[in-house]
Amino acid sequence: MTAALALALLPATAALAQQTHLVVVSGAGGTEEYRARFHEWGGTLTRAAVDGHGLDPANVVWLAERPDADPLIDGPSRRENIEAALGEVAGRAGANDVVMIVLIGHGSFSGDDARFNVPGRDLSAADFAVLVGQFGTRPVVFVNTASASGTFISEMSGPNRTVITATRSPRERNATRFAQYFADAFAGEEADADKDERVSVLEAFAYARREVERSFDEEGLLATEHALLDDNGDGEGSAFEDESDLDGALARTLFLSRGGGRVTDAQLAADPELAALYEQRRALEERIAALTALKDAMDAERYEAELEELLVELTLTTRAIREREGGGAW
Amino acid sequence: MVTAALRPRTATSATAFRRLAAGGRRAGRGARRVAGRGFVVFCAAVLSAPFFVSVAAPPVAAQTEEAALAALAGGEYEDAIRQLRRLARGRDATPAVHRALARGLARVGRYDEAEEAARDGRARHGAALENVLGEVLTERGRHPEAEASFRAAMAGGADDEVTARVNLAELQLRTGRREEAMRAFDGFIDFYNRTRSPSSAELTAVGIAVRHLGVEHSDLLQDALRAFDEAVAADPSNPEPHLRTGQLFLDTYRSPDARESYQQVLARNPRHPQAILGMALALEFDGSPEAMETARAALEVNPNLVPARTLLARLHLRLEDYPAAEDEARAALEVNPSSLEALSVLAATHFLRDRDQEFDAVRERVRALNPNYPGLLTTVADMAVQTRRYADAVALATEAVALDPYSWKARGILGINQLRVGAIEEGRAELERAFAGDPYNPWYKNTLDLLDTFERYRITETEHFRIVIDGREAELLAGPVSALAEEAYRTLAERYQYEPPIPVRLELFPSHADFSVRTVGLAGLGALGVSFGSVVAMDSPSARGRGEFNWASTLWHEIAHVFHLALSKHRVPRWLAEGFAVYEQRRGAPSWGHDMNPGFLIAYHQDRILPVSQLNNGFVRPTYGDQVVHSYYQASLVCELIARDHGPEALVAMLREYAAGATTEEVFDRVLGTEMERFDRTFTDYFEERFAGALAAVEPLPALAERGSRTPEEISRLAAAHPGNFIAQMAMGARLFDEGRLDEAEEYLERARDLFPEYAGPGSPGWLLARVFVQRGDSARAVREIEALTGINESFLEANLEEAHLKEAARDARGAIEALQRAAHIYPFDEETHDRLAELAGEQALHPVAVRAREALVALDPVDMAGALYRLALAHHRAGDASRARRTVLRALERAPNFEAAQDLLMTLRGSPEPRPW
Repeated sequence: MTAALALALLPATAALAQQTHLVVVSGAGGTEEYRARFHEWGGTLTRAAVDGHGLDPANVVWLAERPDADPLIDGPSRRENIEAALGEVAGRAGANDVVMIVLIGHGSFSGDDARFNVPGRDLSAADFAVLVGQFGTRPVVFVNTASASGTFISEMSGPNRTVITATRSPRERNATRFAQYFADAFAGEEADADKDERVSVLEAFAYARREVERSFDEEGLLATEHALLDDNGDGEGSAFEDESDLDGALARTLFLSRGGGRVTDAQLAADPELAALYEQRRALEERIAALTALKDAMDAERYEAELEELLVELTLTTRAIREREGGGAW
Repeated sequence: MVTAALRPRTATSATAFRRLAAGGRRAGRGARRVAGRGFVVFCAAVLSAPFFVSVAAPPVAAQTEEAALAALAGGEYEDAIRQLRRLARGRDATPAVHRALARGLARVGRYDEAEEAARDGRARHGAALENVLGEVLTERGRHPEAEASFRAAMAGGADDEVTARVNLAELQLRTGRREEAMRAFDGFIDFYNRTRSPSSAELTAVGIAVRHLGVEHSDLLQDALRAFDEAVAADPSNPEPHLRTGQLFLDTYRSPDARESYQQVLARNPRHPQAILGMALALEFDGSPEAMETARAALEVNPNLVPARTLLARLHLRLEDYPAAEDEARAALEVNPSSLEALSVLAATHFLRDRDQEFDAVRERVRALNPNYPGLLTTVADMAVQTRRYADAVALATEAVALDPYSWKARGILGINQLRVGAIEEGRAELERAFAGDPYNPWYKNTLDLLDTFERYRITETEHFRIVIDGREAELLAGPVSALAEEAYRTLAERYQYEPPIPVRLELFPSHADFSVRTVGLAGLGALGVSFGSVVAMDSPSARGRGEFNWASTLWHEIAHVFHLALSKHRVPRWLAEGFAVYEQRRGAPSWGHDMNPGFLIAYHQDRILPVSQLNNGFVRPTYGDQVVHSYYQASLVCELIARDHGPEALVAMLREYAAGATTEEVFDRVLGTEMERFDRTFTDYFEERFAGALAAVEPLPALAERGSRTPEEISRLAAAHPGNFIAQMAMGARLFDEGRLDEAEEYLERARDLFPEYAGPGSPGWLLARVFVQRGDSARAVREIEALTGINESFLEANLEEAHLKEAARDARGAIEALQRAAHIYPFDEETHDRLAELAGEQALHPVAVRAREALVALDPVDMAGALYRLALAHHRAGDASRARRTVLRALERAPNFEAAQDLLMTLRGSPEPRPW
């Protein structure tokens, strides 16, 4: 728990200096219906990244089957384009930058070979392992939302890697819904469970997984996909159905947005008082997290009283930040 | 009912075959052994012959004997008996001829003649005929004489001495000499291990012995099966190992395999009575109504086949036809007065009719035959369960276990019924013991697996209930379920002036399969709930699709059963119990309970609705698809009629009469002063008067009843020709609606609605009319139509949601709130419904309603939990409950410390101004 807590608190400072690079691949649809869906979901995610989360458009690449279907599409999602795009990102990403790769489409599995279907020659999990290997120790979020994607976890798992698959095994071969909800998670506000105005990779995963489950329930169908997430490098995905899962510590620290709230790095550098307030807020968040970790061991009333005091301090600090930023205290 | 077999919970290890496998015998090698043995016999015959015989041309006598035996094996009994009699009279008649004759006569139930034939044979061949004589005597229940014969066969060194030995041991077992019998059975393992080439009959004897040993050591059942397989391999024409294999499969709950075994006998002899009986037993196991017919087919071959008569008696008992059951049991006992099984069924017929003296007398007879026989008690306990007397089943099974600790059936009945009366830990322990002894039993396994999940259930104690709900749903459901259960208890206690024992255990299962296992041990039960008396189990609203049922109505129904069962001491018959419960549902809320529908009226026109005096058959032996549902509704009308004519207190008086042991005829006579036949007429008059309009309107039109779809022109012609016929008007209205001709559809649909206004299902004219009005933008008329439907139909979720939508649009917020509350009650798992309800209630300052809706949203564990908690805190704040508001907003901020709207609320609660909207 302590280790997880420490990791969870890292990004508030670390995130200030890092950038996020997003590569979205809408694969081969097979039919017009799926082609349209894969384009739509890719577009939702790409727009959310740029418009909602402030990613530099130069750091966003979207490859799709029909490049003329959307002005944001950078090129066809053929194998060679994917290889080139990832190579280019590897060449320009900074040492601390986060790279997020999202595959949207169909997958297949035969024997021990799992593939992501693209126009032309498909890419296997092993192919992606080589391509992602170019990023070295940079944090990588690799999301394969395709059918039969389960085996990608073991192939792609590694240090500083967050791997998400839409299915838990290659036997789940039906077309998946996960990508739709994963994109929605970044496009809306509902996935922001902790209300910090950012959606972490873990929040997006939890939201998408939950919505997939709900959609099957509402239709009275048995779920044909069960997403997993691995971020501790052990090659075993977690479903987060109970508290026994070992993953999540890294994914909760990774965001599409640059992080840090409404202020820019330049503003912070120019206003030491504002920087101090941010630091004060970060310290309070840390104390709240430490307190909540002790909840079960504490007397309930004392816990509530201490929590309330910290929250009041946090509230006042936030108001001071808002005032300083020009939003005015409420 | 059941065809699936389960592997033992603890996998049977390979060492389970240790003793048999030590001999190295497996089915494949057995086949080689048979070939070798055949060779030895042939050589011996040639060498011992006093003169040279041609192997290619057997003697005439032998040919005749062979033909007779073939006729016997093929089921040509009369021909076989005639030939065998002639052969038996011959000077050189072999023991085999005499045995075959006695067995042939016995197979068709001519036991006296069979005995005579065996005795004649014994006079000529001595010990060689003793075993067969013993078998015939056993069929007649003449145990001491049978035992003497078996012993004589063994002492005389008869060639069927091994069969006589196992017959004797089985006889000892039946007569209560368990230790002796088990010692004898144990000896067969040594026999098997030291005998180089046992015959098919001897291997069958080994299988029988090992099967009995398997009662104490279930792993030996595999060895028994293997011995029977070897017996078949040694002589595929021998029916006995097939029959025993079939029984073994039935004992291990594998009816398809059992049927296959019996089929193998029937392929050679379609008239083998035991094989036909075996098929009937397999059908009984499957719950097939064909079991009775098949048992009768066995009796056509052998009218004195005691197990077939006993089966028939048992089947009659299941149909609650006690006189027929008694007749069959007595017929069986005329053939074999010592039949423990027939006596057990006879005892059950007495027990279920509260004939205590007769029951005790039969128990005494059984005790004299076998003081440790548990079968009578388990049979009666089984039947007690069927008539919902679970506590009686527990008492009977407890006695049975005391008599025979190795009766896994008794332990299973005990355990399962302890669970039904609420003794959960005792039931689980007993069931664990039963499953250890009978690891093939799917009921025990399923139930134990279900019990393992109970640890995730949360218990809520109220004044009268112990409510058990899956932990994932408890927060959402515990409140409303507790409130409704207590309301039902108070209402019914007042109404019946009676309080059943408490606490009533109320279990809600989020999986229908789990509810089904809790109820009957297997998945697949169609019911929504069940009341065992002080224990009620039911589907949680999440166990079914949206709007499939109304949990509150079901809960009320089952709690009504708690009262009726307790008041009648579990003696109220099924049909009336269901009638009472549906009647009480309707009194609980006007829209609850079964409603009149076109199917019922059509069934009435087709004379498929039973007279009240036979209504129980509608539940226990339905003859058409919807008969059970129709019977529920009809029974509730019976109660309405009684309440109308005699006052509701008459219903209470009836239950008390049942408790005093009165039959239904006596209850009607004493309380209502009427005979059943007269009441049948009274009910018919009442029904035809009350539903005169609907009956006339829903008369089936032959032209519409014919198979195949009608052309639009035909429908149009029928609708014009029969303006007073609901079916014709509805068909026309629906067709026009589907074609989008709304104005034209309206006329027909209105006519259909007026002809049968009680009909309020999704296929009703009212619903289509509402959709017509919605499409036309006439919300006021749409609302009126929908209000009529939701006032009748308890689970019409879609109509309630539509009503809310229309009323909200028409600024009738209070009306919309009421409709949303009904919708949320029918299906509490819909976030949108609670959200709309909370918003509207908040706007109308109906703060308690808003708080409940917000609490439900939190209980649904939404992705945005911090947001849901914040909104709940706000609702508490607006309801003036600062304490709950503070605690709840802290929960929100605990998850999302930087949630600024929640921060603002916290500050407001600490004295700052009103929070800003979020």
